[in-house]
Amino acid sequence: MEKFKTVLTLAQKQQTSLSFGFVALFTAGGEQIFSSAVFRCPCSSWNFVYGCVFLLIPSLVLLLLGYLLSSKTWRLLTGCCMNTSKIFKSNNICGTIKVFVQVTVNASVAPLTWVAVALLHGSYYECAMTGCNNTAYIEKVCDGKSKCFQDFHRLPCAGKSSLLASDRDDVLLEIRAQSQVLGWMLIATITVIALAFTCVTRCRSPVSFLQLKFWMAYMNHENELFESLATEHAKNLAQRNVRSFFESTEPPAMKTPDNKAWEKISALYKFSTKDHYYSKLHKYVETCGENHNKSTRSGECDFENPTVLNFVDGSNFL
Amino acid sequence: MDGFQTVFKFFLNQKTTIGYSFMALLTVGGERIFSMVSFQCPCNKSQNFIYGLVFIVGPALVLLIVGYFLSSRTWKLFTGCCLNPRKLCPKGNSCNCVYVFAQITVGACIPPVMWLTVALLNGTFYECAVSGLENNHVVDLFCKGKTDTCRVELPRVPCGKSSLSPADNQELLLMLRAQSQILGWLIVCIATVVGLIGTCYKNCRSQVSYLQLKFWRKYIEKEKEHFDTYATEYATKLADRNLKSFFENKDPEAFPFPNHSAWEDISSLYTFCRSEQYYSTLQRYVEKGNKDKDDEMKCALDFVDGIEMM
Repeated sequence: MEKFKTVLTLAQKQQTSLSFGFVALFTAGGEQIFSSAVFRCPCSSWNFVYGCVFLLIPSLVLLLLGYLLSSKTWRLLTGCCMNTSKIFKSNNICGTIKVFVQVTVNASVAPLTWVAVALLHGSYYECAMTGCNNTAYIEKVCDGKSKCFQDFHRLPCAGKSSLLASDRDDVLLEIRAQSQVLGWMLIATITVIALAFTCVTRCRSPVSFLQLKFWMAYMNHENELFESLATEHAKNLAQRNVRSFFESTEPPAMKTPDNKAWEKISALYKFSTKDHYYSKLHKYVETCGENHNKSTRSGECDFENPTVLNFVDGSNFL
Repeated sequence: MDGFQTVFKFFLNQKTTIGYSFMALLTVGGERIFSMVSFQCPCNKSQNFIYGLVFIVGPALVLLIVGYFLSSRTWKLFTGCCLNPRKLCPKGNSCNCVYVFAQITVGACIPPVMWLTVALLNGTFYECAVSGLENNHVVDLFCKGKTDTCRVELPRVPCGKSSLSPADNQELLLMLRAQSQILGWLIVCIATVVGLIGTCYKNCRSQVSYLQLKFWRKYIEKEKEHFDTYATEYATKLADRNLKSFFENKDPEAFPFPNHSAWEDISSLYTFCRSEQYYSTLQRYVEKGNKDKDDEMKCALDFVDGIEMM
């Protein structure tokens, strides 16, 4: 039991990496299932379209699902039609683009894994390229083998082409090698870009490393507590309303935050070195709360320009 | 025990995703069973197309209707509407009714789309359907560069009983399957794009901010739970009181209970008003009572119920 608890604590600490790893594994597994169970190269003029569809459409779908499931997308977009200045005002547009880039980076883990695993496996690329009509490519791959040019479409299907078995194997091996090299190059490029991106973000951080760690821990706990307290408050409010309906009595007074308060705490937060606030909620309770109606620093309760911090909200995957 | 609690909490949070994945698995399983157990392509020109089409579209239609049946919002909208048709469009604003109906339809469309995807990715139904098409363009597409017997034998290809050579047979089958799978992927892609755009639009038009929306969803869930509990409890108490009074042959004691018009009031779909602080029709009723019904003219229709699976 102790060991299990240790593992669980470790898992909670590395939640982000674990969730990305899990998504990557899941995608790789899905790709293997599709390759073995569903994919059958038609070995005709449809090869190119078929191979490209299997390679690219699932990754597009995974990207869109990534956007759909990311909570940051909805944090940014909720209510924006009613209040277009939230996104489109000149000093907000930069922040909006930053958040969009962050969301895209998080959502691209699954699609890039799919493409990389598919290329490393090789069958989709093989099918697609044997449907390619580019004469130079076919000649290069065929390398003078007899009947290769005419039967190029039929190479992926065993026993359908009229080439010698060894010739067919050679050509297919070459195409598969190209696919795997492309796959590895993709993985290398993604890793380099990810490292560069993280370096630049950390470099541009206005706070130090330890404060950043504290900040991330604070955000996690604030989010957790928010969930549990919101559930508790919702339960109490529901209980009070339902009871009052059934007993046909007046409902007792119950304090609940008003719409403006919710607006103020919902924006994504930007750190300012003048303040010591770690989130919009923190700023709200210290400056605009009930007890602080007469704020000493004027304009502080004005949350009109909620610009965006690019990394502190963390990579809350879901 | 703590560990299990955490894991359980995590899964509870992801219940929508898990629910949809489970539905997808169920669809795949169902499709496999159908293909293996009951699907047998007739392999003749007159019947292939109808047979294949029925197997593709029929279950999708059934799943759509079942989706309508199982959505509680359908019944919230339609209960009592024959006797009082104005209930359907309470403020004469037909836009609202269409919007609610559209919402219900979108929720009910998910299982049929899953079925269509799985059926097309498998390829058997499409193969059967398209090989029975009589359209010259389609047949030419498949039989390009082949002998004339191809046209005649095309409907028999899915059964493997045609008199074409095995190589030709295999090639035609593979081409049909490839088309089917490409169509399946396109349907998935289009459904996802439409889903994303729809959700973006819905969230964009939200009148409240993100955290308040989260709180609101929790409130609606809790209200439903508590309503069920209290309804059971009060029904028990009322039944108790009535039966006691009957068997003991006494006058029944006073029992406070909401009257018929109160039930009517809380049953309508909720309209949100920025100027007010209510999270449901029930809350508006208990806090406001019957006064000030005119304010509701400016309010927008409810959208918070989210994607109710059942």
